[in-house]
Amino acid sequence: MKKTMKRLLTNTTSLTGILLLLAFTVIAIAAPWLAPPPENARDPYMIPRDGFRTEPASPSAEHPLGTTEGQYDILYGVVWGTRTAFRIGVVITACTAIIGLTIGSVGAYYGGWIDDVLMRITEIFQAFPFLLAAITLTSVLQTIYGRGEAGPLMFLARLLAMVTFGSNPMKDVDPVQLQILTGMLAIIAFGWMTYARVIRGNIMVVREEEYALAARAIGVGDFRILTRHLLPNAVFPVLVIASMNTGAYVLTFAALSFLGLGAQRGYADWGQMINFARNWIPSLAQHWHIVTYPGLAIVLFVLAWNLVGDALRDILDPRMRGNGNGF
Amino acid sequence: MTTYIIRRLLILPVIVVGVTMLIFALLSMLTPYERASLYVSDVPKRQGSIEGIIEKYGLNDPVYVQYWHWMVGRKDPDTGEIRGGILRGELGFSQTLGGPVLEVLRRRLPATAELAVWAAVPMIGMGILLGVLSAVHHNRLVDQILRVFSIVGWSIPTFVFGLIVLMVFYAKLGWFPPGRLSNWASQVVQADGFRQYTHLHTLDALLNVRFDVFLDALRHLVLPITTLAYLNWAYLLRVTRSSMLDVLRQEYLVTARSKGLLERIVIMRHALPNALIPIITVGGLILVGLMNGVVITETIFNYPGMGSFLAQAALSLDAISVLGVTLFSSLILVLGNLVVDVFYGFVDPRIRLE
Repeated sequence: MKKTMKRLLTNTTSLTGILLLLAFTVIAIAAPWLAPPPENARDPYMIPRDGFRTEPASPSAEHPLGTTEGQYDILYGVVWGTRTAFRIGVVITACTAIIGLTIGSVGAYYGGWIDDVLMRITEIFQAFPFLLAAITLTSVLQTIYGRGEAGPLMFLARLLAMVTFGSNPMKDVDPVQLQILTGMLAIIAFGWMTYARVIRGNIMVVREEEYALAARAIGVGDFRILTRHLLPNAVFPVLVIASMNTGAYVLTFAALSFLGLGAQRGYADWGQMINFARNWIPSLAQHWHIVTYPGLAIVLFVLAWNLVGDALRDILDPRMRGNGNGF
Repeated sequence: MTTYIIRRLLILPVIVVGVTMLIFALLSMLTPYERASLYVSDVPKRQGSIEGIIEKYGLNDPVYVQYWHWMVGRKDPDTGEIRGGILRGELGFSQTLGGPVLEVLRRRLPATAELAVWAAVPMIGMGILLGVLSAVHHNRLVDQILRVFSIVGWSIPTFVFGLIVLMVFYAKLGWFPPGRLSNWASQVVQADGFRQYTHLHTLDALLNVRFDVFLDALRHLVLPITTLAYLNWAYLLRVTRSSMLDVLRQEYLVTARSKGLLERIVIMRHALPNALIPIITVGGLILVGLMNGVVITETIFNYPGMGSFLAQAALSLDAISVLGVTLFSSLILVLGNLVVDVFYGFVDPRIRLE
């Protein structure tokens, strides 16, 4: 573990990634100082508007990165969007990893028909193109939540709202947040399969190792063998996938927002901000800033996670060792 | 070999049935009222008449009964005509575009197919070429530049890339416009003298000997193709590179070189064919990438295909259309993956022994 950290910090690739992530973390924490919300703001995540003119305004002293359609301040959106991106990326990654780990390890440990059924289910979920499935599920969930009474699904949304936004699970979910949660739920539902497959493969190998057999021979229970002996050996591949996937999930959510299915209009979310640019395609040469700045934020954020994931894989996969260090 | 294919074929129905069940599970979360567009084109707003429709098509029946009807169709008790039934190709009615979902798909599919076919060649060709270059120059400047290109490329969202190429090549330079055809060209295509054999505009234009239309269609395709392809370049580069690096370490290459073969021949004839085997397996993944990419690409470039239909329907919460498109594309994906697997079995003898 120490060795891994050392390798991560001496490798140009991962160092770039880690520094980028640190920078984003600082921006996220310092958001209230970097872009102070107006005094009467109800929700700091709603981007303040300077007037209601439709045409985007170029960067100026008052708005360093300009404003987008409807005079939403881009700097404010980019800064507070960092928080949104972290929340979405981290929560989705954690949820998918937990689901995938459970399904993969249960299947691998018990084998037989349980494994067969679980693997078929995994394959069925993989039979859908990811983005299409996410779009579909988001729009179905929005239809259901739009009715106001969603039964057990509402419980799920409250739980996720508690984890993501720290809101009180006893109260109704804020409609603005609910729309974001539908997108997240959709991505989670179709995002856990890689973990399940990788974990299953790993445990299949480790299960036959002597120490696992020995543990079973002295009568250690299933659950204990699984959690104490098998899972720790499968942690590293999960870390690699998690790092790579965080970027991918942020991209997918940004795509949902861009299509108008993710965050609500005016919410500090990078994908949603770029959504505004769709109405200005013929004059993009003049309004370049409405795509470039939020776009740059997404690219750098995703790049950071990919760089770390890539370096982790090089370090943790022994076959890749000695292949030069990163770039 | 045969057992391998048979085993693949045996799993196929399980997956296909599973896919339909998952789609139906989503459908059954909708209200009977929302499900009515599965069977009738215009759902009446009046309370009384909708009750009749729900009754008529059994939209309050137990789930398994409804699933069966959704699969094979349900007989209208009044007229005796069978309506719905995905096995009969009836995916319900689209409220967004009006008309049966399958009809909309049939109208939109050629545009998407044209885009995909045109994108396939530069996408796969360039991806493999870059991967080989990167592996052959392992750890030298070319390799390092290409690796940066690949990881950065992987981090750019399709819509940002698409908007930036539009910004440069349409808004600034005015070279490549969005859409599918210019006004004059679409008038030519719609006119009586122009026969639409395939509904792929580029191909039809050639068959009708209208090179101006062909060029116009191509001009509209350049940017969407680039957008679709760049995503997969990054991916293919990576796969080709690592598999090529594996092969380059093999001893038979030393033999080939020691025979005095040219380095170019060693690479192209001895190493590449073996390195291409893993690339076939990612074929399925590329297909996925294409289908995901098409939604965003078509939306940005205002290109009237299946993907932009999905985006439009999803935005107006037209669940029936959205589920129809998703069902359709996941079936394509399942079949595509089967083809890839079988092909893989043919190419790589080691697989058959499993």
